[in-house]
Amino acid sequence: MARRDDVLGVAGAETVIGAGVVVEGDLHGDGDMIIDGTFTGDIKTTGDVTIGVNGTIKANIEAANVTVGGSLDGHITASGEASIGESGRVRGNVTSAGLAIAPGGIFVGSSRLRQAARLDLGDEEA
Amino acid sequence: MYYYIVNPAAGRGQIKNLQEKLRDRLSELGIRGEWAKTTGPGEAAKMATAAEAKGHTTIVAVGGDDTVNEVINGLTGEATAVGIIPLGSANHLARQLGITSWQQACEVLAARRLTDYGLIAAGQKFFLSTLTLGFETDLDKTVDTEARGLGARVNQLRQGWGHARTFQTLRCRIQVDETYNLECDLFSLSITNQKFQNALAENKLIVSLSDRPGQRQLGSYLWQLMRRGESPLSEEPSTRFLADKVLIETEPVTGIMVDGKVAGRTPIAIRLTQRQVRFITEKVAGDLLEAVGPRERGRSEAKERPE
Repeated sequence: MARRDDVLGVAGAETVIGAGVVVEGDLHGDGDMIIDGTFTGDIKTTGDVTIGVNGTIKANIEAANVTVGGSLDGHITASGEASIGESGRVRGNVTSAGLAIAPGGIFVGSSRLRQAARLDLGDEEA
Repeated sequence: MYYYIVNPAAGRGQIKNLQEKLRDRLSELGIRGEWAKTTGPGEAAKMATAAEAKGHTTIVAVGGDDTVNEVINGLTGEATAVGIIPLGSANHLARQLGITSWQQACEVLAARRLTDYGLIAAGQKFFLSTLTLGFETDLDKTVDTEARGLGARVNQLRQGWGHARTFQTLRCRIQVDETYNLECDLFSLSITNQKFQNALAENKLIVSLSDRPGQRQLGSYLWQLMRRGESPLSEEPSTRFLADKVLIETEPVTGIMVDGKVAGRTPIAIRLTQRQVRFITEKVAGDLLEAVGPRERGRSEAKERPE
């Protein structure tokens, strides 16, 4: 039966894994991914990854931006932002350009913020 | 030289009343060509093979989805262009190519705008458009989805509703591109070529599947299915992903349908092949690229460039 708290807004996401679906293996792609089921393996994309409230993930995630609304046991490497929602639980390390944790969100691990690239004008400025 | 393969049984024999008008219109457009009529299932494929061997550069399927699929399966090369004059009952393929009537089809044939689509192999057969399994495949066995008229539609909906309430979901396991496996309780599944939904996209399988819809959703689902004759899964799947190859197993074993016709059973391997078919279509990727502008054009060209 479809759940009322299923992830909305699937339009535009290349990959959508619904609640009740169990996936095992390597999920690699170029587009956005929304995962609301159970996943074990490795996730890598140049797009964004959203873990829905029903999502139970045991994986390392490498993506542009990562949003966690469910449960993640694994490391996040994001070129952009990582965020943990009010129902999100992350156990692992996060390397990202920014990290946001909503009230109620749980994070157990370490966070490393990437420094923004500095413009090196060097001798040209003189 | 255009070669027309006509299925006289398609669309309950529509061609009988249209033949003269059709030939006249094609003559006016300067694409009259050679005509041949099939006499039974499988004939269109043999005729397409023979026409290609004789050197015909354009083969037109005059009929429905079955006729088009047979022509596709009869071709061996990739240089032959395929056209459609939709005179079948469903005409899913023609609609997906932007062709909705025989009159428009004639104009499209004369304009001769070409788009290449990758063929999908399901077991030993090739197809272009949509494969389904699960509820929709089962529905077709119990409900007459071809009957028209308000009374027939109401009856279809009533039978469909009864069937949906008793339909047992299938335990399904899918191996995707040999990189991951997916398991779920399946209500319905459809596989189509991404390029049919978006001419700018690359050829890729879109696999859409859903678990059992809720009561309210089921009504809407059935209505869309009956009204359009197409799977509503493309718009509201609970799960969707892209792939080049999938291996589908179900418990219990179930039938699969390709473009509305039963075409095999699970387990089945479905893959996007290297074979392409050149279709004469209403819209081509070039037109869409012009419409969206240089940035999208550059992005699309980058995707097509070999690595």
